[in-house]
Amino acid sequence: MRVLRIHPEKCTGCLRCELACSYTQTGTFQPAKSVIRVSPFEGHTSYAPYTCTQCAEGWCMTACPVGAITINAAGAKDVLDDTCVGCKLCTIACPYGTMFYDPDTRKAFKCNLCGGAPACAEACPTAAITYEETATLDWLGDFARERTARVLAGAPGSAS
Amino acid sequence: MATRHLIIGGGTAGMNAMRTIREEESQRSEVTLVSAERPYSRMVLPYYLDRSIAESHVFTATAKILADWGVKTHLGRRAAALDAKANACTLDDGTKVEYDDCLIATGSSAVRAPVPGSDGPGVHSFWTLDEARGVIAAIKPGSHVVMVGAGFIAFTILNSILSLGAKLTIVEVAPRILPRMVDDAGAKLVEDWLTRHGVTIRTGARLARIEDAKGRRRLRFAGAGDIVCDVVIMATGIKTNLEWLKGAGVTINRGIVVDDHLRSSVPNVYAAGDIAEGRDLISGEGAVHAIEPTAQEHGRVVGANMAGKDVRYRGSLIINIVEVCHLDVASFGAWDDAKADAATGLRADRPAYRKLLFRGDRLTGAIILGRSSDIWAINDVGMLKGLVQSGVSLGRWKEHLKKQPFDVKPAFIASRTTSTLLPETILGRPSKAPGDTPVAV
Repeated sequence: MRVLRIHPEKCTGCLRCELACSYTQTGTFQPAKSVIRVSPFEGHTSYAPYTCTQCAEGWCMTACPVGAITINAAGAKDVLDDTCVGCKLCTIACPYGTMFYDPDTRKAFKCNLCGGAPACAEACPTAAITYEETATLDWLGDFARERTARVLAGAPGSAS
Repeated sequence: MATRHLIIGGGTAGMNAMRTIREEESQRSEVTLVSAERPYSRMVLPYYLDRSIAESHVFTATAKILADWGVKTHLGRRAAALDAKANACTLDDGTKVEYDDCLIATGSSAVRAPVPGSDGPGVHSFWTLDEARGVIAAIKPGSHVVMVGAGFIAFTILNSILSLGAKLTIVEVAPRILPRMVDDAGAKLVEDWLTRHGVTIRTGARLARIEDAKGRRRLRFAGAGDIVCDVVIMATGIKTNLEWLKGAGVTINRGIVVDDHLRSSVPNVYAAGDIAEGRDLISGEGAVHAIEPTAQEHGRVVGANMAGKDVRYRGSLIINIVEVCHLDVASFGAWDDAKADAATGLRADRPAYRKLLFRGDRLTGAIILGRSSDIWAINDVGMLKGLVQSGVSLGRWKEHLKKQPFDVKPAFIASRTTSTLLPETILGRPSKAPGDTPVAV
């Protein structure tokens, strides 16, 4: 399956992915409605986009009491709007924090890989997000660990 | 001869087990379902109550789906007795069903406060579809509804009652609301929020009786004034449906005691969902959770094991979320662990509260309150669940979280929580989409 591969060291924090995502997902250029989120590290000197890994368990999908989350043609877990009642069980079942809820529509929403043509990857000017045939991985863990070392340097117990 | 599986109870646990049997089995088995009600999802009844969905939306399996799955049904029938020695279940119409293995998933039912008048006219429970129909018929715009009990179940229908144009009063015997879902500080915040949104709350209120008042209901309290209203909803708890299992031969404590494969003390009798006392992920002890996610996981694990797989269950995590008047209230794991190393954060300018509980450098429980429109709040809900579920070692991030409980994301990412979570599946394989269940062969 093709997945979104994140190359955090290439991210410039331009937020184009968030704009492209929100426009494709909800028809508005509004980062607040994007399901890919760029996080700053080290006092806004480096950045990394974070989104659904399309995990094997699909905690959101198995938790849904009405079968409103399915697997689309691109292999992504996808919310069926007509079936979703907005109970939010998926938002608490997903252990990655990548389920979203739209208070306007009262529906859950998430990354569905835009059905196989992810707008975020297309919009990224530095190829920090690529759409590749590869196993999904923790793309940000090592990057974040390194980039946060200084944040934690001042924390108690950090002398070691 | 094909293996004969008997599933008793058509709720979340039973339906997940049935679907998983069909997903996992290598040889087509015979599946029989006994269910007092047509299978539906209790979780979505609040959305039926506020008319945002039609009644047809609540059902989890139509007659056609059950037929496609090749399931033999006894709908509208209750299991009356189980003879685990004879591998047989007797139904309330005398029908005897023999099995090779069976799942007990008969769930729980609503209980009412034991006061005179609590079973009288105008007094409802909201637990089954039938009870939901009763409440729907009773509430009119302008009705005064009194909810007795301020627990999770009451709160799941709070928005619906208000959206129907009713006036709502909540009375609770405990000194505070949501006693089994959030701590005192969280409860105070929710109570203030609801009061500001026009809900009347009376805590420490001991209901004495319910009387007729010229067609309306009069609630009398010990040491407090009467309340006269149109509709009373009793949300005073649930009890496990164990009575019919007297003499069945399965070990019962608070629920049916199950092992790590969700087998009861009788190896070919499984139990799942509200009726099962299975392992709690955090404490490692037996617990009756009576929540939807536990019923789902239990049901799937049992289904796989009934289909001949060997699936060990590591335990279930308490997770609850409810939205009231656009305020999200969620808690996870051991949120009430008095011995935990805990930190709290309260935002003065907006309704936002966190409590994080640690054992060693692992997050073992959390409470989170925030506005539904706060995007970070809903993302943090998931990440806190992930931290509790994965039990990752937080190292120095623990101190960071204790100082800044609203800054969850860097701790989650830099602790490589995703790496820990990605290989994790309940059945040891990727989950299938709900529509992909193999049907008639």
